[in-house]
Amino acid sequence: MARNRVKLAYIANDAARKASYNKRKKGLLKKVNELSTLCGVDACAVIYSSTCNSQPEAWPSTAAAYRMLSDFKTLPAAEQSNRAMTQESLIKQQIAKAEEGLKKVHEENRRMELTQIMFQILDGRGLNTVKKEDLIDLSMLIEQNLKGIDIRLQMLNESYVL
Amino acid sequence: MATLNQAKTSKATKGRQKIQIKKLENESSRQVTFSKRRNGLFKKASELCVLCGANIGIIVFSPKGKPFCFGHPNVDAILDRYFSENPLKDNGSATSNTVAVPCFEEFNKECHETMEKLEVEKKRTKEIEKENEEKKNKGEFWWDDPIDNNMGIEELESYVKAMEELRNNVAGRANVLMGDVFAATSATTVANPSGLVNGFTAQNSGFAVGESSGYGDFGLGIEGFNFGHAPDFDY
Repeated sequence: MARNRVKLAYIANDAARKASYNKRKKGLLKKVNELSTLCGVDACAVIYSSTCNSQPEAWPSTAAAYRMLSDFKTLPAAEQSNRAMTQESLIKQQIAKAEEGLKKVHEENRRMELTQIMFQILDGRGLNTVKKEDLIDLSMLIEQNLKGIDIRLQMLNESYVL
Repeated sequence: MATLNQAKTSKATKGRQKIQIKKLENESSRQVTFSKRRNGLFKKASELCVLCGANIGIIVFSPKGKPFCFGHPNVDAILDRYFSENPLKDNGSATSNTVAVPCFEEFNKECHETMEKLEVEKKRTKEIEKENEEKKNKGEFWWDDPIDNNMGIEELESYVKAMEELRNNVAGRANVLMGDVFAATSATTVANPSGLVNGFTAQNSGFAVGESSGYGDFGLGIEGFNFGHAPDFDY
């Protein structure tokens, strides 16, 4: 099966959109079923297509969906909206996650780069070739290393005594 | 590929495994699976809405009985539509679709950009690791880890000496670069009206950062490593 990355935008072509709708709807309902079964929980889905505006497709059944939606509606408003997701909140969540991941990788890269510089200096590279910003961060790296070594030495000395 | 970090030579997780679709035995697996799949489910539903202009509502209850829901355009709209006796006319659903889209485009773009930045950083990681490997092979001055678990007491102590000397040299150089803003000898933190970089204290070295360099918090905890970031990144 060709795995082309689909651009996340409304599919203008009617036929393509209809095909995608059917395929994805099927897949979505399968996933709802799996979630429900694997975790032993209640779940329901209601799907209105963009074209036919009559009755929606309901899963697991019209009756079960009706029951669940009714029960849901009787919950206090806070309960309902507390864990509600929309497209917007989903994307915001994704962005936050991506940014966190980015930050981590970036910091680790920075640490590695500085360590490289540190060893270059120990190996003879002149301090005057080091940029000002790098100097500042480098001094922090050195402090951190010294602390770490200190802890390590303490540990070793303790076990030695024992 | 031999890497710096020993832990990386063994896989972190087992990867994708085919599972049977029946209720999971382990309660915490159920909870974990629930969280992960719920998120994936909502994501798929969201895609279906965007790609095909559908309006969808999903409600799932957690193993603990808490309701989680997803709705496009939003949960209330779906509920209203569902419970209204007359199905909405064409115009109604069309407009509610178009309202959601512009907002989405912008967020999506931001998400993509962040993902791309992530890719760039990951490539950089590989580059650095490769450079380090080459250095090791050339026999250049290198330790696997600044605080190698295999180092004995003597090695560590000579490492400390090297680090302390380096620290003094770096401090000296920094003093030269930053001019008279620094205290010459045993200063610790320097109060700076323009906003000292938080949490940074140089205990024995002769300088503290005197000018606002636009960096964020510096944490000196061993576990976390928060560096000032290069100017072209903003978080």
